[in-house]
Amino acid sequence: MPQPSHTSTPPLTPVLIAGFALRPLPPVLLQPLLAVAMRLLQRRHPGVFERLSGVARPLFLVDPIDLPLRFVLDPDPLTPRLTALGEEDPPPDDVTATVRGPLLALIDLLEGRIDGDALFFSRQLTLEGDTEAVVALRNAVDGAEIDLVEDVLSALGPARRPARRALGLAAGVLDRFARDMETLRGAVVAPAMRKADTQAAALRRLEDKVASLDKAQRRQRRATTP
Amino acid sequence: MTTRKLELVCPAGTPAALRAAVDAGADAVYLGFRDETNARNFPGLNFNREELAEGLLYAHQHDAKVLVAINSFPEAGHPDPWTKAVDDAARLGVDAVILADVGLCDYAARTHPKLRRHLSVQASASNPEAIKFYAREFGVRRVVLPRVLTIAEIAELNKNIPVETEVFVFGGLCVMAEGRCALSSYVTGKSPNMTGVCSPASHVRYVEEGDRLTSRLGDFTINRFDSGENAGYPTLCKGRFVAAGKTSYLFEDPTSLNVIGMLPELMAAGVTALKIEGRQRGRAYVSQAVAAFRDAVDRAAAGAPTDHVDLTSITEGRRQTAGSYEKAWR
Repeated sequence: MPQPSHTSTPPLTPVLIAGFALRPLPPVLLQPLLAVAMRLLQRRHPGVFERLSGVARPLFLVDPIDLPLRFVLDPDPLTPRLTALGEEDPPPDDVTATVRGPLLALIDLLEGRIDGDALFFSRQLTLEGDTEAVVALRNAVDGAEIDLVEDVLSALGPARRPARRALGLAAGVLDRFARDMETLRGAVVAPAMRKADTQAAALRRLEDKVASLDKAQRRQRRATTP
Repeated sequence: MTTRKLELVCPAGTPAALRAAVDAGADAVYLGFRDETNARNFPGLNFNREELAEGLLYAHQHDAKVLVAINSFPEAGHPDPWTKAVDDAARLGVDAVILADVGLCDYAARTHPKLRRHLSVQASASNPEAIKFYAREFGVRRVVLPRVLTIAEIAELNKNIPVETEVFVFGGLCVMAEGRCALSSYVTGKSPNMTGVCSPASHVRYVEEGDRLTSRLGDFTINRFDSGENAGYPTLCKGRFVAAGKTSYLFEDPTSLNVIGMLPELMAAGVTALKIEGRQRGRAYVSQAVAAFRDAVDRAAAGAPTDHVDLTSITEGRRQTAGSYEKAWR
């Protein structure tokens, strides 16, 4: 995955492109899908909500920086709820904490494929608000062994096998697309990188020159001091 | 050449992490109950009694041991959670308990004489006299050494004590006298010693200021990271402060311990077990670190070099050090 220099700058990925396509759609259209996802999560991974029980009723804002959407997660053990917000929609005033990062990194985190601390150390993940609530959520999710594909397939009954094949094909296409995007990104930034390298080399030469002048001046000063 | 293998002791903050550690080749997994009786009392982390019973079954089916850390210090006049933790660990059939408090060592030795006892790093026992005392009085069989000794010092220690030694080889680097550090307590009123948590998340705030990330612990600014600069944990000992007009890390840098290349030397020094730190880390970290050290331990036993794996991506601040094992300061 491309490493953004800062989490407010989205990486150039298929998700970003998909986000442009999604922009005209009202987030409310996603709501039935999100409701099904939360029911599945509650049924297949009740431990997530049990592990969060030590934190007083948190409300999370999950912000994938490469999508024009944000999500409000209410992990109530009885009626957990995930609500989509558009870019312009204000989040609730009582949000406990915000987790921000590229969508694919957030999914990797959700499925335990990447370590949350490592993601934070590399600055791909940003946290705001109540850190204790975020740590509890991270630990609860990491301990749940969530597998989005398997969770969705579990709800499909006899359609599971063809759906698995279709998902496998889609994953291959997405992976190819992501690699193409990375190649494109490399081609786009290459001239700027070359220019930056040239400037850095010129700067190093100047610094060396200044250092050598300083040294000569000190030597001359010592020689003339009685 | 083959020789005795080092035992690989690995962290588990959740049952999923326990399975990940065992699957990746851990010889033993250490964990704690979900309360203040252990030094990683983080929200959403650790095991209830049922989860421990299930974890024990899984580990034992795969020939791995389970060690339970009960390594914080009982609150005066309120020892019940600690003694109950020892009782439950014994009842459930754990392979050993890892203790720090003298009173709790005494309780475990008297009440459950057959329960194997290890001395936690939290006891900060680092000289032969202290270690012999714990062995003689409480039947301690293994001591986890503080991360402040050189390999030569560990070798010398091993010649003079009647118990096994376990040393940290990877993960968070605490260079303070563990069990006696009051920095977290000074700032937040909570510490790993009494409440089981250093720099608790409840007192941590992260603030994005433009491209800069500021971390705060209680009323203190711990660090400011520029755009693109890797971040670290918000502990006071890893803060970047201004002193005498210069901004620097006064105590220690945000960096992780990694001595994967030094396993042959640790074997030669008479060490019995290697500990990977990180019960608070995710199972992706556990899988990656344990798999790398499993391979390294096997290589070391076969007399092969062990510095073949790059673990930078899971280190704090994406930096690593050999710490005191290669002490370059006086």
